[in-house]
Amino acid sequence: MDPKPNFERVRKALTLQQPDRVPLAEVLISDQIKSKFLGREVRDGDMQAQVEFWAKAGYDFIPVVVGMLGPGRVTDAAKIYSIITHSLFEDAERTKGWAAEGKGIITTMEEFEKFPWTSADQLDYSKFDEVQKYLPEDMKIIAVSGKIFTITWILMGFETFCMSFIQNEGLIRNLFEKVGTIQFEAFKKVIGKPNVGAVWIVDDVAYDAGLMVSPKYLRTYLFPWYSRMAKLCKEKRIPFIFHSDGDLWKIMDDIVGIGANAVHPIEPKAMDINEVKKKYGDKLAILGNIDVDKLTRGSKEEVIVEVKKRIKEIGQGGGYCIGSSNSIPEWMNYDNYVTMIQSALKFGNYPIAID
Amino acid sequence: MEMLKNMEDVLQQGSEVAVRENVEKALQAGIPAERILNEGLIAGMSVVGKLFKEGEIYIPEVLIAAKNMHAGMDILKPYLAKAGVKPIGKILLVTVKGDLHDIGKNIVGMLLVGAGFEVLDLGIDVPREKIAEAVREHEPDILGLSALLTSTMIEMEAVIKSLKIVKLKKIPKVLIGGAPVTQKFADDIGADGYAPDGVEATLKAKELLEIS
Repeated sequence: MDPKPNFERVRKALTLQQPDRVPLAEVLISDQIKSKFLGREVRDGDMQAQVEFWAKAGYDFIPVVVGMLGPGRVTDAAKIYSIITHSLFEDAERTKGWAAEGKGIITTMEEFEKFPWTSADQLDYSKFDEVQKYLPEDMKIIAVSGKIFTITWILMGFETFCMSFIQNEGLIRNLFEKVGTIQFEAFKKVIGKPNVGAVWIVDDVAYDAGLMVSPKYLRTYLFPWYSRMAKLCKEKRIPFIFHSDGDLWKIMDDIVGIGANAVHPIEPKAMDINEVKKKYGDKLAILGNIDVDKLTRGSKEEVIVEVKKRIKEIGQGGGYCIGSSNSIPEWMNYDNYVTMIQSALKFGNYPIAID
Repeated sequence: MEMLKNMEDVLQQGSEVAVRENVEKALQAGIPAERILNEGLIAGMSVVGKLFKEGEIYIPEVLIAAKNMHAGMDILKPYLAKAGVKPIGKILLVTVKGDLHDIGKNIVGMLLVGAGFEVLDLGIDVPREKIAEAVREHEPDILGLSALLTSTMIEMEAVIKSLKIVKLKKIPKVLIGGAPVTQKFADDIGADGYAPDGVEATLKAKELLEIS
């Protein structure tokens, strides 16, 4: 198989139309997986190798991160990186970038005032320019942004963050305002760049049992930012994808309301994708949902069955991009990942013909 | 008793200071510490757990209530010890090796304390040998294992196997949880129980120890 990238199929799927086949979509794939696929090292900054991977694996876009925090890890690009890693992580082992869930570095107004905030001007946008040199015709960039909720709780420590909604809401207000401003300004800088075909906002606000905080706080402090981003996307006529893990039922109307075109990843343990399609399929495209656990511990046959089922049940009529139920980490079963993308390319042509 | 019934509101909406004051008032009024614990703090946390399970309140409210409860417990501890009141069970909580996440485990721990258990938290990224050693030392009734990733939850099976290899005077029941964990996984690896959230964890823990 030698799939040729064509972002038009992704754009059609994200706008609830039926393209030529169900597009592949992931927001994050480990460089180890990419290296194995290409048979040579793929490093984070090597945009030529990165583009080569995404194109050859069957994707129509390359995701490029903008802002202070990439999905799953702190971006090297942000000057805030060294502050976070030195302040929050006590030893080198922890520089995997998993968040410090208890201890935070901004727990009072004083610490907020003293914190050496970066500005959007200090962030690094060079990847957006560098990647242009290597993009094949018809392949585009999806700008990955968001993380306003996540960065706020990383800076405060998760427990302090949670308790501050009740005990120190002023600090919450200040942090969301500051972090939101930086991320929004960074977002504005890239949205007009050439070949940015869509925006993917990544911000986990839920887990499998529900939302982390009351939806009233999300509506007050978070969604207004994403609504502004979605409005800009609409002006540029580019789709806006919203990602959060977990059970999003209580905020699905909000996701529609902020102007999102699509939702990702519909975590299988948290939400029934068939129910999502039934209730929101006329308003939101859906991405993802192939179980990460199955991709890691399942058999190839199980992966094929799941891919075919999803294409048949969710892909009918368009409005679906297939991919994992979160991302492709380095510990995923490589053969299963390849089976997923190959099965999607084999069975995903429209009209869908799966028994 | 009105004073104890009010504890439920104070836990949720009050402060640690308010909870301490309420507990002290109840003690001064001659209410036995065990009653204050069971009918005040634990009953109050049970309501918190129910509201959390039903999606009426969220993690911030649970954390506040749990911290408030701990403040009340700190006042009661010497009185409970003097009266010979013991926790209903001992639970050792651990995030398995390779996994650095603990907020879920911490919330479960708070709710378990709220239900009357003694909870020992071994922390995060704990190798199976250290878990076995802690089980031998503390002899918990239940070992609670937590993991957030598919790659790390696999370690849970290794932990269960290692408990069978080492010589233990008392083998705990094993209760597992975490985002990628399912009942099927728990069955496959021979865990005694699985809980999808903190409230279910308290119910399952009581069920495993046959406590009503």
